[in-house]
Amino acid sequence: MAYAYLFKYIIIGDTVGKSCLLLQFTDKRFQPVHDLTIVEFGARMITIDGKQIKLQIWDTAGQESFRSITRSYYRGAAGALLVYDITRDTFNHLTTWLEDARQHSNSNMVIMLIGNKDLESRREVKKEEGEAFAREHGLIFMETSAKTASNVEEAFINTAKEIYEKIQEGVFDINNEANGIKIGPQHPTTNSTLSGSQGGQQAGGGCC
Amino acid sequence: LSKACTKMSGSEATPTAGPEAPPEIRDASPANSSDSSSPTTTDTAIDVAPTRKAKRRPDPKPATEAEEAPKVEEQQPQTSTTSQGGWGYWGSWGKSILSTATATVATVGQGLTQAIEKAETSLGIPSPTEVSAQVEQEEKEQAKNETADGSAAVGSALGMLTSLTSVVQSTGKTVITGGLDALEFIGKKTMDVIAEGDPGFKKTKRLMITNTTLSQVLREAKEREELQTAEKESESEQKLVAHYGMLFDEYQGLSHLEALEILSRESESKVKSVLTSLSGDELVQLRAELDLIKDSFSLVEFEEEEVDEKKDEDGSEFERELTEALEGLSVTATADKLSKACKSTCSHITDMNKPEEDASDEDVKRRWSVEEVHAAAIRSLAELTARSIELFHKLAEMILFSHGSTEASVLSQITVVLCKEISLLSKKFTSCLTTAGSNEKGDVLNPLITGVFLEASNSASYIQDAFQLLTPILEISHIQRRAEPSEQ
Repeated sequence: MAYAYLFKYIIIGDTVGKSCLLLQFTDKRFQPVHDLTIVEFGARMITIDGKQIKLQIWDTAGQESFRSITRSYYRGAAGALLVYDITRDTFNHLTTWLEDARQHSNSNMVIMLIGNKDLESRREVKKEEGEAFAREHGLIFMETSAKTASNVEEAFINTAKEIYEKIQEGVFDINNEANGIKIGPQHPTTNSTLSGSQGGQQAGGGCC
Repeated sequence: LSKACTKMSGSEATPTAGPEAPPEIRDASPANSSDSSSPTTTDTAIDVAPTRKAKRRPDPKPATEAEEAPKVEEQQPQTSTTSQGGWGYWGSWGKSILSTATATVATVGQGLTQAIEKAETSLGIPSPTEVSAQVEQEEKEQAKNETADGSAAVGSALGMLTSLTSVVQSTGKTVITGGLDALEFIGKKTMDVIAEGDPGFKKTKRLMITNTTLSQVLREAKEREELQTAEKESESEQKLVAHYGMLFDEYQGLSHLEALEILSRESESKVKSVLTSLSGDELVQLRAELDLIKDSFSLVEFEEEEVDEKKDEDGSEFERELTEALEGLSVTATADKLSKACKSTCSHITDMNKPEEDASDEDVKRRWSVEEVHAAAIRSLAELTARSIELFHKLAEMILFSHGSTEASVLSQITVVLCKEISLLSKKFTSCLTTAGSNEKGDVLNPLITGVFLEASNSASYIQDAFQLLTPILEISHIQRRAEPSEQ
């Protein structure tokens, strides 16, 4: 299917059910056990403002040992879902994750903080704490459940809306693919890029 | 040389332009692979301009060509010469693919040269005079490029990006002289016409001359296919058309490729910065060690092997070979996906090949249309290629993560196994096509067969490109390993 924009997302955070969130979003199902991989991919089409937007999601491993590799994948993402599982430990690690993400991605990247409450019975972090952390660091915030699918759609879509707004405001240079945004095939500017100047090509490549 | 060429020379007059061209072209390749500077880019950009214009030409009309067939036949010696000059450069994969192409088509009952020439006319391959003019021009450009090289080496402003491109550029020229450069030499015009039926190919070609990454190329090809599909849907004449690029993306091939490119690019810039930090003997020593790694990537020779299409009917042999090649590397999960994909393809083929009498119930057994077989072929090629890229991506991660030593020879062996499988499957599918289309006219069947072989050749090129992307990864892994003992 043709799309107006493609947004690249990364999902980061400790081992807190990130893959479950992705699977719930792409396949609408819950499956607790996953293969341990450094990065897995998912994709889904959504609609914002009447426009088809394709989300290409890079789901990265939470293990510290893989960090040196997963960091490489941050660059060129338009959005990030930073996930903790409402336990104290994973919440405490958020600062490190955030620093890491900010350092290795572009400054305009939209970050959504997600408290995944699949472990509601073991909750140690109140929703308000998450909200406060998000406010302090300029993130969007939501509590979701991959198990019940609660707020999962919203988390992915709200992030996209924020990115979309930034595009409208001109914050994102959509011709620079390093921003994690690609223009879809039917968009008029695409044609000019395709048929047109070598300059455009090189500008796009040069910034990577 | 392959069967295709032997057969061709048997059916034609003495080839003139053909045999002289290869050494020049082969000589040119290494020189070309090392350049990637901005002056060169400008050169090629100018060169490509007419091609772009030419794109707006009306589509080639196979139907009219079929009517003109007798007339074309008179020119047979001429076209055959072209084919020798052109197709002859196909690397072993391309060659063996092509030799089956001719063999397969021949079994349909058409003359060999006619079949080839038909493929050529529909591809718009230029006449021998054009080819030789092209070759001359290429030489001139080569000379220009070479002079440009000196200055380019100094001003490495584009740094890692350009060298990445050069990695990609050198692919297929050094490893397996893939179908791409062959086509490149047939004439740039040709590429354009092929692109009409095969967007990916055009893009691959462009990849060789601009600073475009492979995943970008594939993505753009896919996007255009999506557009075309959308247009067709609106015209409500949705036919069973297989889109390689879209399918490749569906199997996450693009994402894995993009990730692999990221790792490759980062490793490359790390290697560069290590090199700039060294001087004197240390630098010389490391350079020599890295050259050894590079050599093992470029000196891989793939023996030309006639693959019997009856071979490996259920895909178990592929599984065995792949497992063997991957022995000791911890990427079993990914390899499983590949084997599974291959096995399901094989059973699909067996299914399509079942003679009609075998069916117990006539209602159950149906005839496969050529379009269905073609679609199945393109899907399988796209899936296998995507899974292969995934495998290389996982290998790259594993190499970077484990710090263990990985031999380039292991990786090239994997590449061989994968490309051989692509070649074998394309043969099986085209033989299926031939059976399914035994009542079809040549102008229906031939483009489909050509399409399968072209995508197979593309698939092999993509796999080899991905293999080349592993070079900087092995280099940085080597650097990290040699640094370890001294630190302890």
